[in-house]
Amino acid sequence: MSWWEVLVQQTINGLTRGAVFALIALGYTMVYGIIELINFAHGDVFMLGLFISLAWFALLGVTTTLTGWQLLTLLPLVFVLTMLTTAALNVAIDRVAYRPLRRSTRLAPLITAIGVSFMLENVALLWKGPAPIAYPDVFPSVDILREWFGVDSAIFVTTKDMLVVGATIPLMVALHYFVSRTRWGKAMRATAQDRETAQAMGIDVERTILMTFFVGGALAGAAGLIQGMYYNIGMWWMGYQAGLRAFTAAVLGGIGSMPGAALGGLFIGFLSAWSDQYISARWTNALVFAILILVLVFRPQGLMGERSAEKI
Amino acid sequence: MTGPGVRAAALVAALLAYPFVDKALGFQTVHAVSDGMIYVLLALGLNIVVGYAGLLDLGYAAFFAIGAYAMGLLNSPVLGSPLYGHAWSFWLCIWLAAAMSALLGVVIGAPTLRVRGDYLAIITLGFGEIIPVAIRNLGDITVDIGGWRPIERLNLTGGENGVNPIGRPYLPGVPFETDPVPWYFLILIIGAASLWSMNRLRDSRLGRAWMAIREDETAADCTGVNPISTKLLAFALGASFSGFAGSVYAAKLQAITPGAFEFQVSIMLLCMVVLGGAGSLKGVILGGMLITVFDRVVLTQTTFMVRAAGRAAGVAALTTADLTLWRWFFFGLGLVLVMLLRPEGLAGRRLRPVAVGVDDAEDPMVLEPPPPPRAEAIPRWLRDRAPRGAAADPRVPILEVRGVVKQFGGVVALNEVDLLVPHGAIIGLIGPNGAGKTTFFNVVTGLIRPDGGRIALVGASLAGLRPNAIVALGVARTFQSIRLFPQMTVLENVLVGGHCRLAATVAGAVLRPPAVRAEESRARARAHELLAFTGLGDKADELARNLPYGDQRRLEIARALATEPRLLLLDEPTAGMNPRETEALTELIGLLRRELSLSVLLIEHDMEVVMRISDRITVLDYGTRIAEGTPAEIQRHPKVIEAYLGTGGEQDLAARDRSR
Repeated sequence: MSWWEVLVQQTINGLTRGAVFALIALGYTMVYGIIELINFAHGDVFMLGLFISLAWFALLGVTTTLTGWQLLTLLPLVFVLTMLTTAALNVAIDRVAYRPLRRSTRLAPLITAIGVSFMLENVALLWKGPAPIAYPDVFPSVDILREWFGVDSAIFVTTKDMLVVGATIPLMVALHYFVSRTRWGKAMRATAQDRETAQAMGIDVERTILMTFFVGGALAGAAGLIQGMYYNIGMWWMGYQAGLRAFTAAVLGGIGSMPGAALGGLFIGFLSAWSDQYISARWTNALVFAILILVLVFRPQGLMGERSAEKI
Repeated sequence: MTGPGVRAAALVAALLAYPFVDKALGFQTVHAVSDGMIYVLLALGLNIVVGYAGLLDLGYAAFFAIGAYAMGLLNSPVLGSPLYGHAWSFWLCIWLAAAMSALLGVVIGAPTLRVRGDYLAIITLGFGEIIPVAIRNLGDITVDIGGWRPIERLNLTGGENGVNPIGRPYLPGVPFETDPVPWYFLILIIGAASLWSMNRLRDSRLGRAWMAIREDETAADCTGVNPISTKLLAFALGASFSGFAGSVYAAKLQAITPGAFEFQVSIMLLCMVVLGGAGSLKGVILGGMLITVFDRVVLTQTTFMVRAAGRAAGVAALTTADLTLWRWFFFGLGLVLVMLLRPEGLAGRRLRPVAVGVDDAEDPMVLEPPPPPRAEAIPRWLRDRAPRGAAADPRVPILEVRGVVKQFGGVVALNEVDLLVPHGAIIGLIGPNGAGKTTFFNVVTGLIRPDGGRIALVGASLAGLRPNAIVALGVARTFQSIRLFPQMTVLENVLVGGHCRLAATVAGAVLRPPAVRAEESRARARAHELLAFTGLGDKADELARNLPYGDQRRLEIARALATEPRLLLLDEPTAGMNPRETEALTELIGLLRRELSLSVLLIEHDMEVVMRISDRITVLDYGTRIAEGTPAEIQRHPKVIEAYLGTGGEQDLAARDRSR
């Protein structure tokens, strides 16, 4: 492979990784935007999303690669079922672990969030065992350049790459529509800006927060499903790392900003793929965290956000 | 002997006797107990950061790692350290390890100080992740730049294999090689010494500063506590304790690997702190012991029991059950349950003590009137300080503000505002809501940097100074929305006010030489006097949050006076007070000026109060000074009447006020 083929290949890898990060980052940023909580357990909801989607596939009897009509019926069905399950899970987490602490100090719900994260990881560990789990190759993998266009290239672009992009973009468009055009979205934006005023205007703040967790959880579930179908492997500890990378993405894009989270996710995706290739996979984590620290210290409002001042 | 004395003696006897009893009975638990004590020591260090200073640290294991690796690398043959192999090596390295951990504490702390609480937590987590990654990868470094290799296969940390062996401590005749008992006593001594110093630190000027930062950083800054150095000190000291713990851990285990310092360790330590009660030494020890026992004894023993029960009942699933796999589930559950049900921890101070007769206190009929302030009650030391202010050149105003400008985005909050506070004057600052009065206070006290203009205190510019530095120069303030340190006692609140007038350092706070003792007891006496003067004398030991509203206002003034100010800035001091309380407070302000020639700048909405006690009044409207003059002039000033009543308002300002 020539150097530019490596670069292109790693950029494609980065794009698919970044799409998954972006979906997770959206959940972080939405929750932070509305209740100023770093939902530490969010990465683990993503991880459980992968295992839950696996369970839905198993329940529907899917163990091998899906064919034509199944792709159009079963796959969307599993998407919906997985997203509903993780959405419900995320709402339940909020109800149990965060909601009673709404009026408490900022750090209290963060500590419970860490607690929930450990519980979820442990549940996955006991459910699936300590070893990585093979995820069946449900989505057909076709080497597009070679098989469809007959181009003989060292670069691999498969239908799975298309799946990641093809599933992520509609989800983001739908989210954008939901937040900017619907009543629920308007309530969410109002609550994020000023909870008390929103309440005074007749918005049911608790229902709005619930909806935020619901949507965030659904996106994390979709990300888990996509991750499983793309990489064909799942580990109980993957939520922690993915979650922190996604959080980095959300911070990078300016926490609270949805376009920021999407772009930040892509950026972290590219960066981690390039780092794996050009520096060393062993250092990628340190690099991502170094970026997280630098952004939080020097530009906590993110690359696109605006700084807000404390009221005295 | 008294009850607590007997209990303490019994505890010491039990701790000393334990390893011999254990040996005699053949339990062989000394090893495990010593290991548990190392974690308790770590938790105590973390408690300084989390419990005292209120900085959530999710990467504390990084300091543990640095302590362990400092000991490991300095005192082992792996990297060819010259310190290895001497009798004194361990005893020297343990101090070096603590120093290196403290240094890392400062390195990690320094960039994070400007960051908010939850972001700071994530940054510490980031460092906690980076350090093990670095340790793993620095065991085999090769830098390859186009074939040129300046560094090839350099081993800095032992990499994935870790460091092994590590030199043991050496004392003549003490078998550190074969017997766990000397280790137990070594750790016990380090632990006891740490506990002793932490206890003393907590009850010092430094401990109070940490708690003030935890309670309200802005208010602490405006009370003379430097948040940056205070937080850095918490990080450094917290880290140094983990340096001791880490080096003992390394020497005891004889081998360290990067896996021992992962995120989970940080969380387990956090669990110990939170479970027992952040900020309480007893609580942290209790939490640490409970978790260690739970982890090492309860989980394994219950697993045996469940398996035995499973075999007896013939349930196959139970015979292979392994509860130790649930370890992290229980830790997570513990964190959630404690935060939800008992956020102050098992041994922490109850947040909402059942105050006897709360209802009575809230009933205005039984509310005892605040005692009228008396000139005789003014603490002597405040009086003694007063002439110094008066002796200065009376022609130089205490505060001189010229052309101060502040913009927020496109909004001009302050537009070329001038204001003069002569020595011993009471100056009123009034204006409609949003006129920029509080912004003006924030600019003078250094919370907000002005975009232009000059601010001088007795002729010296305040430009660029942090709020705590301005307090040290003699400017104290209160806040429009009361900002006390709610979880500290009334007395502690006032003592924090004295922070910038005290000098004790870490060594002084721990060792308490006579000078520190004298300083501390003087500060306490003065605080009590101030409380008596402000009518809070009998409430010194109550938590500030439990005071009724009027008392909280007066406590804020007492705290401000404790900073020994030359200029006092009061932001709506009578807001929300009943007429009687307002009367007493007005009296108090007048008294301070009369007796101490203290200068006062006063924001106040109660026109009766402002008109009565102010020498001169400045009126702001939309950030611009629209009038300045004596109360009588202000009442007649057409622009003021217009600003308050709108154009065409015929009623006189004072008339409106009288009719209220």
